[in-house]
Amino acid sequence: MSLMGECPECAADVTLPDDAMDGEIVQCPECGVELEVTSLEPPTLELAPEEEEDWGE
Amino acid sequence: MTEQNEAIELLTKLVSIPSPSEHERKASAFLAGWMNAHGLKSHVDEVHNAVGVKGNGPKEILLLGHIDTFPGEVPVRRDGDVLYGRGSVDAKGPLATFAAAAARVSVPKGWRISVIGAVEEESATSKGARHVLARRMEPEQHPAFCVIGEPSNWDRVTLGYKGRLLMDVTLRVPFSHSAGEGRLPAEQGVDFWRQVENLCAENNAARGAKSPFSQLSPSLRYIASHDEGAFGSVVMSLGFRLPVDISPAQLEVDMRNLLNTVAEGTVAEAQFSGGEPAYKGDKSNLLVRAFLRSIRAGDGKPRFVVKTGTADMNVVGPHWPNTPIVAYGPGDSNLDHTPNEHIHLTEYLRAVDVLAGALEQLMAG
Repeated sequence: MSLMGECPECAADVTLPDDAMDGEIVQCPECGVELEVTSLEPPTLELAPEEEEDWGE
Repeated sequence: MTEQNEAIELLTKLVSIPSPSEHERKASAFLAGWMNAHGLKSHVDEVHNAVGVKGNGPKEILLLGHIDTFPGEVPVRRDGDVLYGRGSVDAKGPLATFAAAAARVSVPKGWRISVIGAVEEESATSKGARHVLARRMEPEQHPAFCVIGEPSNWDRVTLGYKGRLLMDVTLRVPFSHSAGEGRLPAEQGVDFWRQVENLCAENNAARGAKSPFSQLSPSLRYIASHDEGAFGSVVMSLGFRLPVDISPAQLEVDMRNLLNTVAEGTVAEAQFSGGEPAYKGDKSNLLVRAFLRSIRAGDGKPRFVVKTGTADMNVVGPHWPNTPIVAYGPGDSNLDHTPNEHIHLTEYLRAVDVLAGALEQLMAG
């Protein structure tokens, strides 16, 4: 049975891939935000890190 | 001496050895010596890269830093937790992080970790990285994972860099009287620069490019005019930072077309150099996951960043399509090349912990 997590943005159920791992980035099928799997036991999702822009190397 | 004190001593000594581009030999010899003394089989290679390898398996984790620095002396001094000095951030901090983390971890059978302090990253030749790349061109030679050593703060992972193209232009203009209607050489140079700015602005508007990472960004690095009797000339040096969807070759064609529109009688010559495509890596792979987990394990909230500069990621990335690549290292890249360059040592040590944790996860997988 697939693991399910809850989107912290819209509360939708998110089905995790069978081979999901901590740190994996998935997308919420309802609101489209990127989510990070922060735990598998229990399945926990947080908003994925935002992509910032910076100058320099 | 504790592991942490050894790591701080490594960074302090490395920063204390000046190594502007093309003068890296002494710093490379020091780093190779340190790595040899800490469990990595090390040497200085033909182009003066410092190379250290731990383990002998076929799967390689390549930690590719650079040992050269931007020119200019920043006196080395310690003020509490802060270490000042040229290269403390860009990029001896990240490079020392690589060496200290590789020294700490055990490498299981089947794996090897390569730490490289590459030469000439700051000089746009990327000689050291190209030397590394030339030995890893066949698919079976591609690293399993690659981390580029550049400052991003201990809790941020850099996913990409803009590309670059440099353009040197000479316009030779038949002289006309300054009271006449003809455009003088200096004026034609200014005209050309305005055309370049307009072309880039129109290109950005057409692509809907609003963020700095997505924009085509020109800079006028140098301009001078000269009298040569019946002719005058204007010499200009332009730089471009490229988004992912514009290649250096494509921009070169656009610039050559623009040069064809200069005033009648004016002879335009252009030379292009330093062309590197932009590179942006995937954020859903084992390497990124390992960093996210390791940053969280250090009580951090991980962040992603893309940079408007160009790094050795641009050199190697396009040639290793199946190799997950990120850039990582402690320090604030806003201090790159500044007279105030410094790094917080507690942040440096946290980055060593994060990288060591990520390496262990990757090799356990």
